[in-house]
Order: sequence, then C-alpha cells, then structure tokens
Amino acid sequence: MANTIPSIVCLGIIGRNNNPLHITIFPSYDTTTQTYAPVRTPLQFSLLLSGTLDIFEARSRHLANPGGAGGGSMLLSGDFGLLHAIDDRLAAYGFETNTGVKFVAVVDMRGRLAKNNTAAGRGGVGLRDNELKPVFRAVQTAYVRLLQNPFYEPGEPVGGKPGAGAGAKRITSRKFRDEMRRIGEAWAPGITAL
Amino acid sequence: MEAYPPGSLDHNVPFLVVSGLGTNTAKPLLADPELRERGILVRSELSAVDTREAKIILRLIQEADATSLPWEPRDNPKRYKFKINTIGREFLLPPRRARLPDDLDAPSSAFVLHSPFSPLSPGSTLYPDGLIDTRLTSDPTLATLHDNELKTDIIAIKNAIGQSGYKSRLAVVILSDQSPSSVSQFQERLENIRRSTGLDPKASLFVLPTRRTEAELETAVDNVLTAIFDQAIEYYRDLGRHTRKKRARGVAPRPTIPPTSGTSHILSLQGWNVRYDFKAAVFAEFRQEFDVALRSYEQAYDTLLGTDVLETIPAWNPRFNDARLLADIIAIRALKCLLLSGQSTAAVRRWQLHNDRICDIVDRKGHGTHNYGWKAWQARWCAVMANLIEKINFPELEPSSLSLFRPPEKNLSAERLQPWELLHHSGYWYRAAARHLLDRRKLAHSIPEEDRKPPEESTQAAMSRKTYAYDTYMCPEPNEEYPLEGPGINHAQLIFDHLTLARTEFQKRRQKRASIELALDSCRELENMGKWQQILELLAPLWRDMSFRSEGWWDITEEVSWVLRNAAFEAGQKELIVAIDWELMNKVFSRRLGWHYDISKALDGINVVQPPVINLDDEHLTSFIRADFVFKHEEGKAGQTCPAQLSLISNAFPDAAPIRLKSLIVHVEGGLREIHLKHEKTRHQKQINTTLELAKVTLKEVEISGDDAISDGSESDLQPDSLIILEGTLDLTVFPGQTRVFEFNVPLRESGDAKATSVQLSLESGAFSLTYSMQPDQTVSSSQWYSNSSSRRKFIRPDPRSVRILPRPPKIEVKALRILEQYYTNEAIELGLSIMNKEDSDATAKLDITLRGGGAPSYQVQVAGGGKHSSPSGSDERSLRGIHMNTINASESGEVLITLDPIEGPTIIDLSAKVSYYLVSDPSTPIIQEALYHLNIVSPFEASYDLLPRIHSEWPSLFNTENIQNPSDGDTTITQSRGLAQRWAVVTRYASFAHEEVVISDIELEPIATQGNVTCITSKAEALPADGQILSPKMIEEKYFDLVSQKSSLDDRSPATADLAFIIKWRRISAPDTVVNITTLLLPRFYVIVSEPRVLATVSYSSSPSSSTSPTTSPSQLLFLDITIENPSSHFLTFGLTMEPSDEFAFSGAKATTVNVLPMARRSITYRLLPLVRGTWVRPTLVVRDKYFQKVLKIIPTEGMKSDKDGVLLWVPPEDEGDDGNEAVVRS
Repeated sequence: MANTIPSIVCLGIIGRNNNPLHITIFPSYDTTTQTYAPVRTPLQFSLLLSGTLDIFEARSRHLANPGGAGGGSMLLSGDFGLLHAIDDRLAAYGFETNTGVKFVAVVDMRGRLAKNNTAAGRGGVGLRDNELKPVFRAVQTAYVRLLQNPFYEPGEPVGGKPGAGAGAKRITSRKFRDEMRRIGEAWAPGITAL
Repeated sequence: MEAYPPGSLDHNVPFLVVSGLGTNTAKPLLADPELRERGILVRSELSAVDTREAKIILRLIQEADATSLPWEPRDNPKRYKFKINTIGREFLLPPRRARLPDDLDAPSSAFVLHSPFSPLSPGSTLYPDGLIDTRLTSDPTLATLHDNELKTDIIAIKNAIGQSGYKSRLAVVILSDQSPSSVSQFQERLENIRRSTGLDPKASLFVLPTRRTEAELETAVDNVLTAIFDQAIEYYRDLGRHTRKKRARGVAPRPTIPPTSGTSHILSLQGWNVRYDFKAAVFAEFRQEFDVALRSYEQAYDTLLGTDVLETIPAWNPRFNDARLLADIIAIRALKCLLLSGQSTAAVRRWQLHNDRICDIVDRKGHGTHNYGWKAWQARWCAVMANLIEKINFPELEPSSLSLFRPPEKNLSAERLQPWELLHHSGYWYRAAARHLLDRRKLAHSIPEEDRKPPEESTQAAMSRKTYAYDTYMCPEPNEEYPLEGPGINHAQLIFDHLTLARTEFQKRRQKRASIELALDSCRELENMGKWQQILELLAPLWRDMSFRSEGWWDITEEVSWVLRNAAFEAGQKELIVAIDWELMNKVFSRRLGWHYDISKALDGINVVQPPVINLDDEHLTSFIRADFVFKHEEGKAGQTCPAQLSLISNAFPDAAPIRLKSLIVHVEGGLREIHLKHEKTRHQKQINTTLELAKVTLKEVEISGDDAISDGSESDLQPDSLIILEGTLDLTVFPGQTRVFEFNVPLRESGDAKATSVQLSLESGAFSLTYSMQPDQTVSSSQWYSNSSSRRKFIRPDPRSVRILPRPPKIEVKALRILEQYYTNEAIELGLSIMNKEDSDATAKLDITLRGGGAPSYQVQVAGGGKHSSPSGSDERSLRGIHMNTINASESGEVLITLDPIEGPTIIDLSAKVSYYLVSDPSTPIIQEALYHLNIVSPFEASYDLLPRIHSEWPSLFNTENIQNPSDGDTTITQSRGLAQRWAVVTRYASFAHEEVVISDIELEPIATQGNVTCITSKAEALPADGQILSPKMIEEKYFDLVSQKSSLDDRSPATADLAFIIKWRRISAPDTVVNITTLLLPRFYVIVSEPRVLATVSYSSSPSSSTSPTTSPSQLLFLDITIENPSSHFLTFGLTMEPSDEFAFSGAKATTVNVLPMARRSITYRLLPLVRGTWVRPTLVVRDKYFQKVLKIIPTEGMKSDKDGVLLWVPPEDEGDDGNEAVVRS
C-alpha cells in the first residue's frame, strides 16, 4: 500500500445535455492480488460519472448567484477542481467547457504501483486540484480536434430542451478513444503536460 | 457508535443533580443492582418546593441541559454546560469502595479498597489486568442540591456527601419568596446558615428571591449555573491533578487481593499509564478543554498501541479485543476533540491513521483482515465517523450550504491533501460503511460450511481453528454470522439501513443522481430480503422520471428497469411490467440472454383476470418505436389535400418479436381531421422483412358517433355531436429494425396552422391492451420524406411536422363592366360590377364597397334586383359594408352598379369591392374574394387668361344730375352704379386634356366676387354653335369676353379687383345630349378699375372712297389714331404730346401740344395718319409726358393694335385687302 500513487481510473466526457459522450475506464492496481483491474464495473462508473452531474449543477447554481465568492475564476476557466471524493480511494475532478461539455476524471488515490525511481512518498501522498489541469487541457484539445473533423457529427440536437440528451450519439471516433486512453495512462501526479 | 458500550462515548459535561424542586423522581441513576445495593443515600428531610416560581426555575434549569444538544464546540453564548438530572429529595450515590468477595476469608490485614471500576478491585470485570471499564465515565460527579432553608438539613446533606467520600460539590440555593430589595431583612438568617454550614456565598450558597419576572429569574438562574459551573471545572481540575499525581508516581499499584486464579499477570505500569492518561483526558473533556484532552488521548493511544501494551496481549486473549475496544474509544474521543476544535482534515487523517494501525495490528497479530469481522469493524468505523459528523454539525456541511465537503484547515491547505481528507458529509461515510458491509457479507458467505455449524455440532479441531481464523471483535461468531440453518445476521437489512441513512443525506443536498444510485443499491438489498413492495415504492417514482433516461445513460436506465421489473413481477404490477418491457425492447440497451423480447409475452407467468388497459406516453418512457409525421408541403389551401407521411421506426433488438399494432391514431391540431389507421391482416405467409416499407394508404372520411368514438369520456363531452375521422386500413406489423412509412393525402379543412400533435399506437395481446402515445419525433433535427427510390429527401423547412393551411381560394369572380380608360372631374362616374359565381354550388354573398383616396365622393350602390344603398357621408374613407346580395346560382352572375358623384378636383381613388360569401353546400366556411380598382380622376381642361384694356364708351360726367346720389333714398337706389367704368377684353385660351373628343356645349365667364365696390358685367364676345363645339384632344381654343366694370360711386376712386370663373359646359362625345358636365376654372384676380391716369390709343380706319375706283391711285386710306387720356384722379393734370415725323406715314395733327385733363375727366386727341407703306406695322413715335412730373406715360394699345417696348404699333392693311384689314388686325 505504501508504494502506490494516484492514477486515473475513468475519464468521462459528458455532453451539454448531460448525456454521456464517452467513457474510458482504466484498470488500477490491486494490492492484494497484485494485478491491475478496474476497481468498479462499467455500470458503477456510469453511476459515478452521472453522480458528478449533481455537483456540476449545484456548483453552477452556486456560481450563478452573485454572492458566490471566488466563483468567477472557476466559471471562467471551467475548472471545477475536486468535485467530491467518492470514498477513501476514489475522487472525481471536473472541468466544464464554455459550451457546457463536461470532462470528469476519476482518480484512484492508490491506483498504480509506484516505480522505484519515481518519487513515491508515503501512501498518504495527496493531490492538488491543479494537478489534474493537464488532463483536462489534453482532453479539451482532443475534443476540439474531434469537433474540427468535418465528418464528425456532434449528434446533439439543437434546442437543448430537456430530454434532448436521449437522442444524442456517443463519440465513436477511434482516434479520440485512443487519445483518451493515452491521456489516462500517461498522467501521474506532477506531470505538467500531456 | 451504538455498538460501543453505553457511556463510553458520551459527551462529557459536568453532571448536575437538582433536588428539591418538584417531586418527580427521575429514574434511578444506578442501573447496576450491585452498585445500587451498596450505594450511599443522600436524603433531605424537607419537602420539595412546589410553587409556581419553583417550577419556572426548574424549567429554566432543565432548559440548560446539554445532554441532547449537538456537540457544538463554538459560539455557545452560555459558558456552562451541564448534564442535568432532576430528582426528588433523595439521591443515591454509587459505592465508593469495592466490595470484597463474599467468599473471602476474614481480612488478614486492612485491605486498601479501591473503586469498583478499578482493576485493583477483585469484583471488577477488569480484575486483575484490565485497563478501563467503560462504566467509569458515567459516574455521577457533582450533586448540587437546591435547598430551602434549614441549616441542619444542609449540614446533614453535606455530611452525607462528605461521608460518601466523593468530592462532589454541593451548592445550595435558597429560594426566597421575597423581592430582591427585601432580601436584606434576611441577611442575618442567611449569615447564620452560611456560617454553620461553612458554605461559600460566592460559590455554593445562593439566595434566589423568586418574586421577580421570568426574565430576571432566568438571568438569576443563569448566574447561579455559571457559578456552579466554575465550581465544577474546579472539581474536575482537582481530579485531573490527582490523576497526574498518580501517574507521576510511576509504580503500578497493587491490587486489593493478588490474583490467585488464571494467570498471575497484573496490569503493567504502561497499562496504568494508559489508564491515567485516559482519565486525565476525560477530566479535561469535562472541563471542555479539548486541546488538553486530545493530548492526553493521543498519549494514551500511543501507549496503548505501543510495544508494551497491545503488542504484549496475545490475540486469543479476550483482553486483546478489550484493548482494541479501548483503542477505538480513545480514537473516537480523539476524533471528537479534533472535530470539536474544527480540525476536520486532521480528524479524517486521524480516522485513517487508526484504520491503518488497527489494520496493521490485526494483520500481524490478530486474525487478519480478510474476514468478515474486519469488514464489520471497517463498516463500523465508517459509521462512527458519520455519526460524529452528524453530532458535531458543521455549518459548512449543512444541507442548505450545498457544499459536499469541508475545506481543509488553514494550516493544512497548502499541503498535498488526499481528496478524502476534506471532510465530506456523513452520507459519504454511510455509503462507505455500506460498501464494507457488502464486503462483510461476501466474506461471510465464503465461510466454509463446517464453520457455520452450531458449536455443539462441530468438532473440537474445528472449534479451535475457528478461534484463530475469525476475527470476532464486536461481531458474532461465524456460526451466528452466517449459520448453516436459521437466520443469521441480516446483512441485507444492515446494508439497507446504512444506504438509507446515506441516501437521506444525499437527498438533503439535492444530489439526486447519487441518491438514485443509492436507491438502486438499496433495492438490491431489498431484493435479497424479498421486500418487493418496498422496492416498488422506492424505485417506481424514480424510474418514472429519472434523468438518466432523458440524458441517455442507457446502462443505468437498464439496470434500474430490470431491478424494478423483477420487483414488479413479484408484486404483480402489470402496468409497470408492460411499461418496462416496452422500454427494454430498445436495442440501445444490452441484450439479456434468454429473454424473449416479445411484448405480447410480458405478462406471462402472471395471473391475469381482467386484461388491464395500459396507457403509456413518451413523457415518462422512451420507446423503441419512434414516430414521425411530416407534411410534404409547407402550405396548402383549404379544400385541397396535402401528402403526408407517418413513419414508424423500430429500434428493437433484431431478434425481438414483431409488433402487431391494433391501430394507429394521429392526433391533430388545427384544421385537420384525426387519422386512424387500423390493422388488417393482409400478409399471411410472406414475412417480408424489409428495412423500409412504404405503403400508400387511402383515407376515407368516416363519421363516428361521439359515444363509441372515444373511449375516455372527456373528449366526447366536448364534442357531443358526431366526429368525422379519416380512416384507413392496412397491415400494421412492425418488424424489429424496420421503418414503416404510411403515406396518405390529408384533406386540409380550415385555414390556419395545423400539425400532428401526437401519434398513438395501440396494441392488444390476450393479457393486456396497451396504448402508447408519442410526440412526433422531436429529437431528430431533420425529418425526411421517404420515397421508393433510394434518394432521401431531407427537409430544410423549420418544422416539416406542421402545415400552413391557406384559406380556400375563392371561385367567385368580380369583374368590372364598362370601365373607361379615363375619368374626369365634374362628371358622374358609373361603374358596373359583375359578380360571377364559378363555384359548384350556389352562393350567398355580401358585398363591401370601400372608396379610399383624397376627396372620395359619395356614391350609390345599386344591386341588380335589389335595393339602393348610399354611402355614408363625412368620413374620408367611405365604405358600405354588408350589402346583401341575392343568392347567386352556380355559374350565374349578379350585377352591381356603383355611381360616384362628380368629383371636384383631380385625384386618385381606390375602389375595392369585397365579396364574402358562403356556399349553400358548406355554410360554415367563409370565402372572400376581393377586387380593387384604381380610378385616376383628371381635369379635362386647362385654360390661360389675358385681360386687355379697352375704351369704354361711357365716361361719367360730374355734371350729370343723374349721378348725384340722393342720400335720402340711397337705400333703395343703391343698385345703380354710377362710378367710374372701364372696359376690358378677357381672352381665354382653353385646351382639352381629355383623351377623347369632348363636346363643349357652352362657355361662360362669371364674376364670382369683386373687391372695391365694383360691379362687373361679362358677356361673350361671340356665341358658340348651338349644338356645341367639338374639342379634340390637345386642341387650344381662344375665346373673348367683354368685361365692363363700374364703380358704384364716383367718389370712390380706389382701384378694384374681381375674381372671375370660367365655366365650361361639356360632355363626352359618346355621352347623350342630356348630360352636361360643368367644369369651372378659376381665373387669377384681375384689377378691373385702375386709379392712375392712363393713355389709351385706339385706331380706326377710314373707308377709302377711292379704293374701289382706282387702285392705282395714291393710297387714300387714312388711319385715325385717337389718344385718350383718362384721369380718374382728383388732380388737374397737364400732359405734353409730341409726335415725331416718320418715313412710314404722314400725319396730320399737333406735332407738339399740351393737353390739360381735369379731374375725373378724359380727353382725346386724334391724329390722322396716311401710311406710306402697306401691309405692315407702323410705329407712330408719340410721346405723352406728364408735364408736372416730367414722366412719360405708357401708351396702352387697344383693339387692333399692339405694342412693344418702344411704343404702340399700328397695322396698315395691305393694298388689295381694304376692309379686311380690320379683321386681320383683330385676329392677331
């Protein structure tokens, strides 16, 4: 347990109608069996990602009223930082683009076996909010690239009335999927660019 | 936290026993019978005070009870905190010394007796080497008695307490029934009491006069309690000091009796230190000094888990679990201290640390962490934290604050924190506990069967193995945890309880998705318990409008649906089953193996007595069938049809059973009729399953009576009469993945926007009948028009689902008869309209006529065979509405004659005729036809005018007696004008601007008005032909009028003007003779009397006597040039006339002369001219000069003369013309 470091276990892209666009699940290290396996089932990850929507909504509502102190910068940058910790292992971090697309990174605080050469501290090594920024930046770049593809149809109906999410399509681009996988696997605390 | 022994985790506040107020005896404090038996009774002989004031005081004191309050560390306005117990007059203190075992022999030496809770006392459960009994912290420590008066009584109580050995403090409050001011009278008595009892008036003896208001009483009680609290703090400080002293001794005390049985092991010094530290910490907590308490707890904890205490205890020893329990308690109390001081992140760390350390110890020394016992403890440990968070009640974690976790302390905020170390609300902790409980169940279920046997059945070897294999700390033995037979621990209930606790917390903070997740987890547990109804209650409302469905989280929707379906199946909820089955047919969900995916089998296995009717709609449910309804054209006209397509797209699993619909109903809005499609089995064997099937359907109008048309009564109430629908029949089987398109022509009925509002499909199986209504597909942004060819047409219209119905095109025609090219002013205009009915049926029409434009005249409308209508007068826009016309039969026409009154000036008039009519066959549909005519009214003539002076034959004479006005009879003879008269010739040149020839029947010049007392008489110079003069377009005619103007009086010599009008009476050449149009043209204002002197030249020709006889002779024709000088002024004027000789003529007359003209007179001088030239104009160089003003007067030519800037010119007729010359001159 002592030599584990945080790693991303799930990356989720959620559309502006709160519809899931893309979910990538990464295995994390299991100390007892000494293997890599996803900590939750895909369904649980779906529930977990959708659960973050509550927080996105609450925070946006909180930021919308002018009394919210310090909310402006968060609203501008779109970085929501820590949304919540699900338990003592998993924590969800969020980012919202100005078009309402949300990126969620679920981090397993003991997700990966630390290599000896890396500066693996004690088990309780924490995480700062801004350490997830490179992830979101990379995801956003990938998403923008996806949208720039003229053959990609975002599949989000105009209008944005409730219930519009049901008809939305998921992202099927293989390139985007590979990119998500790369981002999730490459990230580790302290990495500044992906 | 309830799992821990009672009292061990209480919030420690000083204990206040209130006696003497009221008679209600509280429940005995000492539950332990053994302790009660030997307890020390403190009793007061006085009866309790039971007055109103006493009750108020009692209530005030009880309100200060802090037992049930949340543990608020901060911001408490009251300084004191008590646990308060009210008793009657007696109070039982627990025994101070432990009892010796009864079977002990006579004491050989004086035993040192210890507290019953001490490990030194043989009767204690801790004896001989236990650490701390949990009952310790519950001992009553301070008894405060409110008493009334008698000092003996006080002394007795004091003695009793003193004898008990407890250092409890006694405070006495004397209630006086006096007001505060009169207390001084009792001062002496009080002093007496104080002295004899030895009570300190500041700390333990209070006098409370009761005759005061409640607010004052409250402050008084407040003061008393504050003072007592200080005493209490002091008391605990003493105790704490005592403990520290004991610890500082550094030796382990001897037990009362050395242990004789079992091991001879007694509590080590380290163990004692743990005990002392713990006690010190508890005492600090009593004093509300949490920092001190925390330090002591940490010390105790470290010692306890250090090498000397816990490490030395073997795992089989029950003391091991006792030590764990103590470690837990210390950790919890430490957590509490941390939380109370607001260090939430440190608290989470402390929590994690304890978890890790215990994990480590259990792994190394205990039974390992891979068993249910460890998971049970972990779950408990999470729940403890949740309980603590709830008790502490952080304002940051209030549900209203909407924040889910508490920000870290300031000193830690710069550190790299674990996300979990930000204290989350208790829901998260309960959920974590539930997860551990899940693991516990999993591990419990993996217990081998032999271990699950009851102990009496199992073998000795198994028994001993069990002791080593299972961690039974605070949880039952494996045979009870998961017995082979009979119920064991109800894991499902445990998990469910924790999940419910968590869910309420999440719900409070509006984390609705997270709470659905928890509800789903809860339902899995309920499933385990078989509580189907509860699942339905919990999940069905969530299922109905969960956001996952509308947001496309299909996997979650599916999970919820399956769980709910299971429950619905068990509970026999048919509607729910069908609804879920309907939804789950969609292939966005994952395929469940072995499932039938046939909606008609949905209720298989359920006893259906009466087939339920199930109504579903797309508001709460998605469907595998999407429907769309599009119109081909954006707009259409009423009475016509528009092609439309209804498409059904099935997204069912490819191997699902095809859906056989019973009927399809398209509900519409606007001027359309409902469309019903009914199933008719046509395809028997050939199961063609094409992906796109386009069917053209013919619809026919069917009238259904209101009763059987609509099954639900609401609509039939609205439309009691019969309803006309469009009906078609065809096969309505939809295969999975198929797109069925039904194309039909929809008759458009009424104008307006119309659209299909919903598509309702119904199907019927033996077990149920189902209707599902859905909106035409809104989620797809573009609809398409299907056709048999492969090309698909996408609509680019904004809303292809609606059609704009234009009004029915009118087939009545309005035609103008005899409309002329040009209309003129001053003529009556007649317009004939013919209204032609080209409809198939007779029409009842009404006519509206409206005239617009400046100067629109009034008019009359004459309907053929009907009445005559006149337009209203006055307004600018003249309209006649609702002129009733007779019924116009089909292919016949009605006629209307509109007569416009003559129009004064040129203008443009719009005439609109609106025919609104109903067909006799369809009286409910109004149809409107309109015709608009522009009438350009122009003036037919224009004219120009000249006024030329002439010599009037008359000149008034001053000496004429007729001119003398008789003032006496002036009234009657005023009509006769006798003033100056002048004659003029008015030349009018008028042109026709008409497009056609007009006949001028007459022309006139009429004076309209005169200014300056003048009368004008006009006369035509020559008459027109009797039958009129034909004036061609663009022709100019010139006409002369004579104008004689005369002042009414000679005395009036001012100039005068006159306004004249030129009147032309004319008609079109096509018009009958009777028509006379009168066009009046106004002349500019002319001066008709001038007051200045003027010189008028007239010429006359002598008829030559010799002209006929000898043309060769010398010219014999003479010209007479008369120069007439008029002097209308009242001055005597002298004029000089000079006539220059000329080459063109010879003249006779004065070459230079002087003429005197009297006032109001005129004189003429005649020159005879013999022209030397012929056929030309000659210029007599004649100058008339006013002698006085030396001013040359202009000579004004009259008839037959002309002038230029140099003077007048005379016409000399040519030789051969002779008399005709006069004519020619006039013409020029």
